[in-house]
Amino acid sequence: MLSLKNLSVRYGKNLILNNVSFTLHRGESLVLIGESGTGKTTLAKSIIGLGDGSYSGDVRYRGQNLLAMDPEEMARIRWNRIAMVFQNVESALNPLFNILEQVAEPMIEHGLHSPREARSKAGDLLKKVGLSTAHFLLYPHQLSGGQKQRALIAMALANDPEVLILDEPTSALDPVTKEEIIQLLREIRKKCTLLALTHDLAAASRLADRTAVLYGGRIVETGPTGTLLSDPGHPYTRGLIRSYPDINGTKDLQGIPGRLSRPKRGCPFEPRCTQGIDVCKEAVPELRETGKETRRMVACHRGGIVPLLKTCELSAAFGRVRALNRAGITVFEGETVALVGESGSGKTTLARTVMGLQRQCEGEVYLEGVLVGKRGRDFYRKVQMIYQNPAESISHRQNVLEAVSEPLEIHRIGSPAEKKEIVKRVLDEVELPSDDEFLKIYPHHLSGGEAQRVAIARALVLEPKLLIADEPTSALDPSVQAKILKLFLNLQEKRGLGIIFITHDIALARKVSDRIVVLKDGYIIEDGPTGAVISSPGHPYTRRLLAAAPALPYGLGKGVPSYTDKCLSM
Amino acid sequence: MFRLRDSANYLAAFLIILAVNFFLPRLMPGDPLTAIYGEEALVHMTPDAQEELIQRFALDRSLGEQFLEYCSALLRGDLGYSYYFNDTVSAVVFRAVPWTLLLVGTAILISALAGSIAGMESGWRRGKRTDRALLAGIMFLEGFPDFFIGMIMLIVFGVVLKVLPLAGAMTPYAGYTGLALVQDILRHLILPASSLALVNLGGTFLLARNTMVSILGESYIFTARAKGLRERVVSYRHAGRNSLFPVITHIGIQFGRMVTGALFIETVFSYPGLGLLIQKGLQARDYPLLQGVFLVVTVTVLVTNLFVEVLYKKIDPRLRPCISTTGRKLETTV
Ligand SMILES: Nc1ncnc2c1ncn2[C@@H]1O[C@H](COP(=O)(O)OP(=O)(O)OP(=O)(O)O)[C@@H](O)[C@H]1O
Ligand code: SF4
Ligand SMILES: [Mg+2]
Repeated sequence: MLSLKNLSVRYGKNLILNNVSFTLHRGESLVLIGESGTGKTTLAKSIIGLGDGSYSGDVRYRGQNLLAMDPEEMARIRWNRIAMVFQNVESALNPLFNILEQVAEPMIEHGLHSPREARSKAGDLLKKVGLSTAHFLLYPHQLSGGQKQRALIAMALANDPEVLILDEPTSALDPVTKEEIIQLLREIRKKCTLLALTHDLAAASRLADRTAVLYGGRIVETGPTGTLLSDPGHPYTRGLIRSYPDINGTKDLQGIPGRLSRPKRGCPFEPRCTQGIDVCKEAVPELRETGKETRRMVACHRGGIVPLLKTCELSAAFGRVRALNRAGITVFEGETVALVGESGSGKTTLARTVMGLQRQCEGEVYLEGVLVGKRGRDFYRKVQMIYQNPAESISHRQNVLEAVSEPLEIHRIGSPAEKKEIVKRVLDEVELPSDDEFLKIYPHHLSGGEAQRVAIARALVLEPKLLIADEPTSALDPSVQAKILKLFLNLQEKRGLGIIFITHDIALARKVSDRIVVLKDGYIIEDGPTGAVISSPGHPYTRRLLAAAPALPYGLGKGVPSYTDKCLSM
Repeated sequence: MFRLRDSANYLAAFLIILAVNFFLPRLMPGDPLTAIYGEEALVHMTPDAQEELIQRFALDRSLGEQFLEYCSALLRGDLGYSYYFNDTVSAVVFRAVPWTLLLVGTAILISALAGSIAGMESGWRRGKRTDRALLAGIMFLEGFPDFFIGMIMLIVFGVVLKVLPLAGAMTPYAGYTGLALVQDILRHLILPASSLALVNLGGTFLLARNTMVSILGESYIFTARAKGLRERVVSYRHAGRNSLFPVITHIGIQFGRMVTGALFIETVFSYPGLGLLIQKGLQARDYPLLQGVFLVVTVTVLVTNLFVEVLYKKIDPRLRPCISTTGRKLETTV
């Protein structure tokens, strides 16, 4: 029906859209997601041939190239075949005509109806979109934003178009109005082919079967809306989802490092990507199917977010006691996986086995897709561990400088001066002082929180990709704990650090993790996205853990502050 | 609709004009009677007549009483007596007013229509050849003083081509009636009116053009285009109508300038309006006549401004209070 092939648009020197291609079949709905300035409006404008940049590529509607069409033919296609609802609700309507007039106008001007018929049909349409007759003769300045949006939708439907383009149909509206408009659009979707452009993920998920994610003028991921949002393939998509304030989300909002730029070559996301490799700077990745599911395509040289660590059937035993049974977990780049379970459930055993501190008796461990045999220096450069007690990682005979730079020593990185620089930088990163005085302190002179930060600095100094943190904060008071957890999330955002977070505290896991893995007696009994595990736990044991989780007595769930109870009982 | 505060502004302006008209001659050094009537007129006057005039203007009484007398005379429509025309000033002025109004009105109509249409077309094609040619041409015309264009037109069409009459507002003693009379008047009107219009075209043109250019960037123009409307519909119905407001205000403001312009043009074409009166009044030093003309002109300008303001509110629905056209009170819906 409508297909774009290698559409590129440039304004002067700026290449705004870069080889965008997609096909929209009859009756289908597609939503293009992209942050502000990615070129959504530009795309919409170029489809109806009203953009003001320079174009290359094809926009085909029923086989005809719209970009090459003569103006009169194009004018016939506009509104009769392809209509649009504009982003700029406030000024998209002419201030001097009432809305009935404006809805009727395209029907009259395209010669579809006599003025009288057109007006009565316009009235029907306005009624259909939820405006009462009292509003028909009002001027735009007399209507609210939601009413204007409805009028614009009615206007778009006037000539029975086959394709409806919606540019940010709900962004300017309050949540309740937004919901009503979405309902209306879902109704319309049954009859029209829909192309929606938005940065609103929730709206997107309700509007279309298929989603394409636009970044830096290119489509970086496409797939069925539901699974794309629940299981993003491209790092950018995940970043978008993480920064979206979802009501069911439990992890803190995380942003995407850096800001939108348009590199001349290579992957458009490269400057902000935390898993880039050399080729990313040179070559543009093509949209390719991934293993995830059919119709899911990701444009990434690494095939999307990479699995950092994967264990298969990993088992470990102490004598005849099997402490870990055929455990399979996967940790993706930039992801936190929480391992929860009561003490003795095998959490630490799993971590130690991965680290090679505990012999595995069966199964495999893969690091970045490569089978790990004997753990050597290379392995520890990429995977580091932090323990509950900082004393376990730092010898009390070393001062801060020595403790933090020891891994550099072992890996023979840098001259002494360089080492000191690196140490200082890492200390900054973990928000510790980095002056010479601090470097000379011995860890047992530090507070628990500071010592743990030194341990974290030591773990981070080699810039590992994966951090295994075994109860890293259980010895700290809540306010220090909160700070350290924030630190982890920031590092994750900045560097794409993968984290295995071991804790018995499911309430804590809920706040920091993307996925939760529940262990019991050495078996993995549950593994899923944090939100899902918390809201609908699958295993009775998980439910028990949740019930036992710490909660402050706020009268949660009652919707009234608890002090009213007190007042009543007095 | 039209609020009290707006009318108060106009009332204040009117009072100031009255006061200026009253105080200026009386505050001038020397005999107020001389200041009011001019030396020439007094020379021809008998002492009796002078005495009568002093009585009439209450010149021997206090300033307050003089002002009251002045106002009541105005209310009676008494603007004084013109010795040159040997008639009351009001009669003389009101014989001339229709001609000036006709001249200025026609000129405004021409300059508004031609100016805004040319401006809109120019704005629509901004940067193209037509736009640049129009811009240059109109700016060139704007550079000339009113009477110069009038003289050129007079020479070209009246003297060289001999297609249009040279002077006057109608052929004297021709005894035309009905349609023939109208035709005759129009033939006489063409040259002075279009000269006046031509010089005053520039402002309207520029304004219409610039407004058009800025309105073309508005989202609703994009909407209109996306709707697949014809160019004409987009440019006139959607862009044009929106670009009219500043033009209308401008025309209102221009009225005063047009009237002054008309005074010169009238002398060039010997058109029997207020301009010609002023010329004669100046030559004869007929002060009452000049003052009368001044009062009438300023009051007319005021009234026109008021009218423009009302008109402005009528055209732009945004300036009207929000009343549902069905008359019912609106429920707040989304
Ligand atoms: N007419 C123009 N001339 C030059 N640059 C333009 C023009 N229109 C848009 N741009 C630029 O193109 C880029 C994409 O703009 P566009 O309006 O398509 O963004 P968008 O994705 O719709 O953003 P938003 O969500 O804020 O509406 C922006 O960087 C913008 O500055
Ligand atoms: S890994 Fe490379 S190709 Fe993939 S998103 Fe990151 S920079 Fe782009
Ligand atoms: Mg936009």
